[in-house]
Amino acid sequence: MAEVKYTEAEIIVANAAKEIEDGDIVVIGQGIPMAAGVLAKATHAPNCVILTEAGLVGIEPFRNPLHIADPTCTRGYMYSCDMIDVFATIVNRGLVDVTFLGVGQIDRYGNMNSTVFGDYRDFRMRMMGAGGAPEFFGYARKAVLTMRGGKFVEKVDYVSSPGYLEGYDAREKAGFPPGSGPKVVYGTRGVFRFHPESREIYLAGVFPGHTVEEIKAEVPWDLMVAEDLEELPPPTREEVELIREFAPEIAAGRKLQLELSIPRILNILSSRAP
Amino acid sequence: MLTKYMQEDKRMSAKEAVERFVSDGDSVVIANCLYGTPYALIHEIIRQGRKGLTVFQQGGIDEIDQLLLGGCVSRLLMAYNFRVAGERIETVLERALRRGEVEVEDYSNYTLLAMLQAGAMGYPFLPVMSGIRESDVYRVETFCAGQKFGEVECPFTGEKVVVVRGRNPDVAILHVQRADKSGNAQLWGALINSKWACLASSRIIVSCEQIVDRDTIMRSPHLTIVPSFRVCAVVEEPWGAHPSELLGFYDYDMIFRSLFFMQAMSEEGGKAWMDEWVYGVADRREYLQHYADRFGLRYLQELRAKPYPSIPADYGASGRRAWDENDMSFNFQLTRDEFLRALEEKGGFVNG
Repeated sequence: MAEVKYTEAEIIVANAAKEIEDGDIVVIGQGIPMAAGVLAKATHAPNCVILTEAGLVGIEPFRNPLHIADPTCTRGYMYSCDMIDVFATIVNRGLVDVTFLGVGQIDRYGNMNSTVFGDYRDFRMRMMGAGGAPEFFGYARKAVLTMRGGKFVEKVDYVSSPGYLEGYDAREKAGFPPGSGPKVVYGTRGVFRFHPESREIYLAGVFPGHTVEEIKAEVPWDLMVAEDLEELPPPTREEVELIREFAPEIAAGRKLQLELSIPRILNILSSRAP
Repeated sequence: MLTKYMQEDKRMSAKEAVERFVSDGDSVVIANCLYGTPYALIHEIIRQGRKGLTVFQQGGIDEIDQLLLGGCVSRLLMAYNFRVAGERIETVLERALRRGEVEVEDYSNYTLLAMLQAGAMGYPFLPVMSGIRESDVYRVETFCAGQKFGEVECPFTGEKVVVVRGRNPDVAILHVQRADKSGNAQLWGALINSKWACLASSRIIVSCEQIVDRDTIMRSPHLTIVPSFRVCAVVEEPWGAHPSELLGFYDYDMIFRSLFFMQAMSEEGGKAWMDEWVYGVADRREYLQHYADRFGLRYLQELRAKPYPSIPADYGASGRRAWDENDMSFNFQLTRDEFLRALEEKGGFVNG
């Protein structure tokens, strides 16, 4: 059988989905994370509970939501609550098994920046802000990061979401729940994990068609590389079909999505009312 | 200071509501986040040229950009604001920051809303998840310096707990599916910040898709997110949250939003958008008329919700009264006359 063709986003989604176990309570943001959650629920984890900080708990999205508060993407959901309920009674109580977050900037100890590039006041660019990330990242049992367009840096310009701080046991000493923190980063070329003692990020696996050298060139320090690199499987036919059924925009990726949607937008904008 | 709003009929236009209840320099919280955004009220605030507002922004897409383009906002307490493009495109917020027109204090979603929750409950401060202490959300302060976060020792365990200050904005603006004329406002879907943002505030302006009769409210009190005695104005405004979405009414209008973001990439474009969609229309009705003239109504029709009704909760009970149809008391096994006699005989009356 011919190998199935897949996009850059699809291989990330298919691999990231495997981080969810059946029965997990999963907090998810828009984009690739949502696609991974939906794929997991449609395949190996039918009993996982997908929730967002908007108070939508147990959603079953049939199409990709525009944002985390979009209940038009699901036909009902199991529990309607508010943002205080989600953070205080679910996240703070340690009930979240997995959280998925996107990366803007990340350092070697998994500290993340989603607020500002450059100096805080004399910034180069303002990103979207911390949002729900600091608490999800702080208190979920496991944080899974996906990274497309994000950057590895020696030092993040702003710590929106603390990871392992200065490494080793700094995170536990600071009072975060034992065992919490970033566990894995899915980039466009490979997957990264964190050393069990030093908590420094290392390259754990390479996607088909990419090399260790290529990945090391994107990291501004001498990146550690696992002795036995994981083989990361390409997505299966079933997986890509599910992803495209649910979220063709995610499958296409942001750039191509924009390119493909512009003709429709222009068509509508230039049309006069009938 | 909280005021009771007890008038039976608080219906008015958006224009009147903003004229009466939003002043220059007020602190304003947008009491929907991403979902059901009260654009009709926001646009009215802009049209009336309110200045110097402090805005609590839980998470937004383009509404803050529009308020900034209107020159309404001088301070922003914010957790999240969508951006559509990369570093090469300067956003409306970035332009306003660089010119010193607005100051931003960054919070996380939870810590921002916890301030309003504390304010709603009348507490001076409230604990939050202390991990925030390790972030720059905690360390970096702007106009809230010294008032942004605090730390207290738990009197029971000795643990150091991070706290936020209770905040009470002057005004909350909220859009909901339905309300009665006295302001019992019913919202369903993404509830996010709505309850706490409203209850924290001194004045609440509600816009709704539909005004319903009181009986509808009485039969579904679980949907009431804000009670009428807190609400100062009710504005009936169909499509009042367009281009955001509202269950039972409409989906989000992605194309329309794209139009804003495409235009707002340049200063002139942003101004042109505002001239066309905010200043160029008198109210929401004209906005919709303009939409219909420009694109045809069929694009709006594509967004219309198809029904998926909730199963009604049965608020029924036996309906038993204190006196049955034979004028017998259920609890005393007495008729009303016998009951009055008993009160007389047993000294129940205090005035002879």
